[in-house]
Amino acid sequence: MSASSGATRRAPWVLLAPFLALFLLTFLVPIGMALVSSFTKVTRGGLFGEAGVVAEFAGLDNYAQVVGDPNFVASIGRMFLFGIVQVPVMLILCTVLALLLESASAKWPGAFRAAYFLPYGVPGVIATILWSFLYVPGLSPLIDVAEVVGASPDFLGADTVLWSIANIVTWSYTGYNMLIVIAQLKSIPVELYEAAKVDGASPLRVATSIQLPLIRPALLLTAVFSIIGTLQLFAEAQVLQRVAPAIDSQYTPNLSAYTTAFAYNDYNVAAAQSVLIALVAFTLSIVFLTVTNRKSA
Amino acid sequence: MSPLSRRQLLGLGLGASAAAVLAGCATPGTTSVNTLPTVPPASGKVRLEYWAWLKGIDRVTELYNRTQDRVHVEAVFIPGGNAGGYQKLYSALAAGAGPDIAQVELRSLPEFLLANGVVDLSRYGVDQYEELYDPTLWNQVSYTGGVYAIPQDSGPMGMFYQPAVLDQVGAAVPATWEEWAEVGAELKGAGVLMDSFPLADASPFAAYATQAGASWFTAEDDGWVIDMTDDATLGVAAFFDRAIDDGIVTTAYGAYTPAWFSAAADGRIASVATGSWGDALIEGVSGAAGRWRVAPLPTWGTGYASSFLGGSTAAVLANSEHPAEALDFAVWMTTTEEGVNALIEFCGIGWSPARDVVGTLREQPSAFFSGQNYAQEVFVPAVQESSQNQDWSWWPVTQQSFNILSDGFRGKASGGTLVDAVVQAEKDIVAVMRNKGLSIRKAGA
Repeated sequence: MSASSGATRRAPWVLLAPFLALFLLTFLVPIGMALVSSFTKVTRGGLFGEAGVVAEFAGLDNYAQVVGDPNFVASIGRMFLFGIVQVPVMLILCTVLALLLESASAKWPGAFRAAYFLPYGVPGVIATILWSFLYVPGLSPLIDVAEVVGASPDFLGADTVLWSIANIVTWSYTGYNMLIVIAQLKSIPVELYEAAKVDGASPLRVATSIQLPLIRPALLLTAVFSIIGTLQLFAEAQVLQRVAPAIDSQYTPNLSAYTTAFAYNDYNVAAAQSVLIALVAFTLSIVFLTVTNRKSA
Repeated sequence: MSPLSRRQLLGLGLGASAAAVLAGCATPGTTSVNTLPTVPPASGKVRLEYWAWLKGIDRVTELYNRTQDRVHVEAVFIPGGNAGGYQKLYSALAAGAGPDIAQVELRSLPEFLLANGVVDLSRYGVDQYEELYDPTLWNQVSYTGGVYAIPQDSGPMGMFYQPAVLDQVGAAVPATWEEWAEVGAELKGAGVLMDSFPLADASPFAAYATQAGASWFTAEDDGWVIDMTDDATLGVAAFFDRAIDDGIVTTAYGAYTPAWFSAAADGRIASVATGSWGDALIEGVSGAAGRWRVAPLPTWGTGYASSFLGGSTAAVLANSEHPAEALDFAVWMTTTEEGVNALIEFCGIGWSPARDVVGTLREQPSAFFSGQNYAQEVFVPAVQESSQNQDWSWWPVTQQSFNILSDGFRGKASGGTLVDAVVQAEKDIVAVMRNKGLSIRKAGA
């Protein structure tokens, strides 16, 4: 074997090394550690563990504890409810906006596109703080106006705060998803539009028969991202917690894992929660993709 | 050297990652610093780091540094307690790093003990300072024969109220909780709330129960003894169940939230039972100068004159290389006239933990509170040993217990009761303690 062929064989690995190292250290190793940690249990003797601390293999004990925690299970159920309502609303909204902006009669589409996309540039924490000023009684002009007409909306109540969060999320991400849809719309060949024109199709007909079927891949993509994003909801709930007593420390699955790890200092159970959240997100995405693919077949 | 084959490289990578996983998977906080030999005082220069969320703490450390030629304390600002500060501290401890000294609330100290995160200061001669400190607070930093932190600030409770609002119904300042409820009922007729009761934060409830004479946790030789369903606690729970049902207090917001500030400024809320640190917050209510006064906390039929709400410590953390120097600084900060005055002036601490040093500012009347000398009138009596429940002890899962309680309290909004929530919480907390491997039994069982 000549030296040059050895160098040739080595080259891809040398070039890949930075990526592989980072991938290993920031992705595979943490996942491995979380898995190991989720199967470990720490027990303490005495009042504070002064009589000895034992870390041992726990089997599925941590998982049993997580699944047996009604608040954690409720948080996943809450995210299902959230996703079933919020994701379709957002996707319909972003599709309508994209179709309007891409229609021939749209005025200043560039300016509107930028305006709709703008909320995505506001970090989730800041967006939540901004919206909380519109939700808090005594500060909110919305509530003041509603009271003039005799209504007294409670945006932060036990039944409503979930939808107040959904509103923030929709506000933040509709523009972003709209851009993905617009990108797909732009890739539709001009010939199709010309043929439709020749056939005398109305703009509505063009939308339903040409544009909607052809942006399906973009919609599927945004739907999967949104499902995963819903399960990972964290910042909005955590920030709104300060003004909304109805949001507890386990309101969303991620908030639950965060609380367990860093407020209760129980990394093992938190690891089990995180693994479960990942599994649920993975399963949901697979189920969604399978169902939608079967329909199209 | 022969080039590594693809297979070898892959093997190396996997081996390295497996080694990293194994090295990293020891659960943090499973070894105790308090079984290792003590660290002798250093002879050279020492740099200490102090993580705290008190604003202006850097000006206090600056004062200290000016008195020292060898020790330099660096203040680092962290978010308050569970708002992110503890998260930072726990991760730092887990990583084998972290500051020499950290601000830890009294109630959270046992959790740091459980995580093997704090140094037993009795091994560094802290006992000689005991008599300088408030005995109630000293109790709350002493566990299993050790002393695990230096009390740094506290919040004896009193009742801040708006005299003009009480005058609307011609009510006198209530001295007992029964009177408080009567005044509240009259105020309700005038469309004014007496106070707020936070469903999302169980600490005021715990403080009321403490005042009534409850002692939820006791450390016995055979483990923890829990008693959250005693007459004192259930009486307080039933009392606030009624107060909420009667509309005397609101549960829609807690004290010092934006909605509360708005209601307080409009005179829609008459009073707030709170820690002495509430003074600085009430000064933030718009147009409040001259409109508030302070009275002693109303009392239950049993129990004590007051209670502590909040309060924190300066704890020496496990990874400190200079525990002796860290202790010296903490004692200077909390017991000298200079240190306490600086804590009050720059950090606005609620109350000095030192038995004999109240702070110069607190010896004078307050212009904001219409010239009332409330510190001397209300809070000095409130911190006396006989005014405080000496049996109260915090326990290793306080934060989780408070979350369990407040999760139950939230059920009040949908038809539940505080009493039921407390009864259920006791069971859940027992389960949490057992999951950690700690032994716990119900009182009387």
